[in-house]
Amino acid sequence: MSTTSSKVFIVDDDDAVRNSLRLLFKTVDIDAVTFESGDAFLHEHDADWQGCIVLDIRMPGTSGLEVQKILSERGNTLPIIFITGHGDVPMAVEAMQLGAFDFVQKPFRDQELVDRVSQAMTLNQEAQESVTHKREVHECYQELTPREKEVMHCVVKGQANKVIAMDLDVSQRTVEIHRARVMEKMKARSLADLVRKAMLLDTEDQ
Amino acid sequence: MSIIPGETDDSVQLEPLFDAMVESMIVIDDSGIIERVNKATQAMFGYEDKELIGQNIKMLMPGSEQARHDNYLDRYHKTGNRRIIGMGREVQALRKDGSHFPANIAVGEIRTTGETRYVGLVSDLTDQRESEELALRRREEMVNVSRLSTMGEMAAAMAHELNQPLTAIANYAAASIRLLDKDPAHTDDVKEALQEIYDQAHRAGEVIRRTRNFTKTTEATRGETTLAEVVRPIRSLAELDTKANNIRLSWGIPADLPRINVDSVQIQQVILNLIRNAVDAMHDTDPEHRSISVSAKMTAPHQMRLEVCDHGHGVNGDRSGDIFNAFFTTKKTGMGMGLAICRTIVRSHGGELGFRKNDQRLGGGCGSTFFFTIPT
Repeated sequence: MSTTSSKVFIVDDDDAVRNSLRLLFKTVDIDAVTFESGDAFLHEHDADWQGCIVLDIRMPGTSGLEVQKILSERGNTLPIIFITGHGDVPMAVEAMQLGAFDFVQKPFRDQELVDRVSQAMTLNQEAQESVTHKREVHECYQELTPREKEVMHCVVKGQANKVIAMDLDVSQRTVEIHRARVMEKMKARSLADLVRKAMLLDTEDQ
Repeated sequence: MSIIPGETDDSVQLEPLFDAMVESMIVIDDSGIIERVNKATQAMFGYEDKELIGQNIKMLMPGSEQARHDNYLDRYHKTGNRRIIGMGREVQALRKDGSHFPANIAVGEIRTTGETRYVGLVSDLTDQRESEELALRRREEMVNVSRLSTMGEMAAAMAHELNQPLTAIANYAAASIRLLDKDPAHTDDVKEALQEIYDQAHRAGEVIRRTRNFTKTTEATRGETTLAEVVRPIRSLAELDTKANNIRLSWGIPADLPRINVDSVQIQQVILNLIRNAVDAMHDTDPEHRSISVSAKMTAPHQMRLEVCDHGHGVNGDRSGDIFNAFFTTKKTGMGMGLAICRTIVRSHGGELGFRKNDQRLGGGCGSTFFFTIPT
């Protein structure tokens, strides 16, 4: 499900926990990159990374929660799964309120963590795809002439060619030509597809 | 009548007074023969009047006291040295049924017409002893409870420290199962994982071993040792707590300090308690300044002093007089017994527990230093 560039980024100060997690993910064919501190992770962190972060909530130096806050300021889109210990529930709640994907309590069942990580990676991939898709639609839209844009807006409102021709004070034939150009430039397979793409543009405009 | 047999006196009222006394009153002559006893004596020792009168006072003493009694009388006759006269003394007394009881005895001398008599006032200390022993037991129980409560407060740190190896063990085991499922011949990776599991199990055992000694309920026992020896077993325990709270802990306890005679477990309890308080005081201290130092030195020829210095919120000036009181606490959780028990322990060792506000120049939250002294 995950693309080749999708990885799990593990941040934990405990050598044994970190290494055992790496081995665990290896057995389920998920690429893992490990960091021994929040600072080390933040130093390497790249906005283009895909996958998810497994973050120990309690670490010396920059804590898990602080890493989450800093990442959020950087506009991070990677889902974060926190690893929490006994008595860390209040911290876990705070993390969830700040938008964490989930948290697991130590010691956790391997399947539980693997499932959460898979879900988080899927979510991230879908989000990535949706971002890419939106960008593509937007790029297509920018290719339209002002007149084509007008026609497109009327078409997605469900207006018939005749009505559009009257509104824009052009011939019905001209509307048909514009309409065909819009479908082509927007790479729309059908009217329904065009409507969907127009909605993506709308939400972006709002 | 008079309390002296054969003497007449105007104050006839003395007889009921004599018998109304709660304490036993015994009049003997100068050779130790009992001449008179009051009613309390009969109740206390279980004899009738007539069984006592004319007998030697030694019948009310167990063997060990008899010899001493002879000594005293002898010495007094010869030297006039008052070993017992006029002074209260604790002795063992013997009842008719052969049982012993602790008693306080005060002896007065009565000289009349050339004769010397002695009057002994005996009070039974059984109840007092029992309540003293009870109080002592209660105090020891409290000290034990307080030690457990300190451990309770440290439980989060301990759970964290145990969770690390347990998590690693679970991960390695899960990975091994998955590896073998894929390929039963995959033994190299599995062997490596098993080695890790073995190491981590021992790491978990180590955490438990550190705490086990400290939580044992113990009877107070003193012994000669050094402060460095006392502190050694609790260093890792304290570090567990400070590490979990992101605090640097430094130790400065010279190995060559003079020897001390202390109950190690109790002194460890005081030190851990002071460190625990220092940890709690630094919740709001910014991470850079979170540090605790524990140090010891000689402050007088026969006085050693241990200090626990933090950079926390300090002691509120208004409350500083209360902090050693039982049930006084500024913490949301906690019984408020910690410092009260610490003070009891330190005082029972002949030392004093105190604190001071740190010098402003130390930077950060200036914090407090708690210290106690121990005689060497």
